[in-house]
Amino acid sequence: MLLEDVPEGDCLVVSLKEKRLDAVIAASFREALVERIDQGQRNIVLDMSQVSFMDSSGLGAVVFILKHLGHRGRLHICGVTPGVMAVLKLTRMDRVLKTFETRQAAIAA
Amino acid sequence: MDSPEPLHLIVPATLLDARAATERVVNLCGRFDTEDRARYGTAVMEWLVNVVKHSYCHAAGARITIRAVAGPEAIELMVEDTGLGMAPWQFEAAPCAVVFDHTNISALPESGMGLAIIKSVMDSVNYQTEHGVNRLTAVRRWQR
Repeated sequence: MLLEDVPEGDCLVVSLKEKRLDAVIAASFREALVERIDQGQRNIVLDMSQVSFMDSSGLGAVVFILKHLGHRGRLHICGVTPGVMAVLKLTRMDRVLKTFETRQAAIAA
Repeated sequence: MDSPEPLHLIVPATLLDARAATERVVNLCGRFDTEDRARYGTAVMEWLVNVVKHSYCHAAGARITIRAVAGPEAIELMVEDTGLGMAPWQFEAAPCAVVFDHTNISALPESGMGLAIIKSVMDSVNYQTEHGVNRLTAVRRWQR
């Protein structure tokens, strides 16, 4: 699994460089993000612009990260593709996860 | 529009093979738009992962049989395994939608959404066990 970190002000932009966030990589993705939070990152922007498919394991990993951050920080998601948004809406997680069209909007929010 | 050739796969019960098989099934779904293709692919992956994790418990050497037929009106899917399976009542009892209190972040579900996704995506779905074979059959119409 390939992640790219780019610090932007008080945010860490984490880009998932995979086409699929699914059961194959969900656990390692979750652990990688938890490691960043536990190292002190509090404002995370997750760039999913390269992800065209997500299953419930991948979604569960994102939800775990949101819960792990809790009130300590914020998780914003940008670059949500139509395929990923369809699954967010299907599971109604679009009501919980904060999504933004662009990276800059996610950083600024 | 011509229908693609039916798919008949027998694959190792691993997460990587579940992913590859899902892609093969979704390749039959040219009549869906991007969103429906994503939803359908997610439902297929949910079931295959369920088989790998819960029916076979990642057992080495286990196999999954997958058949998919793209007809004029719908795509029909059949998945068979010979693992532990689940009680039919358990399948029936699963909700038809992912339900949670979106105002309570700490109680959001991180797992257990798979069956609800399958039931909400498919137009009809049936699960049974016969002579040690667990069989899921699911139909999804091209147009709803």
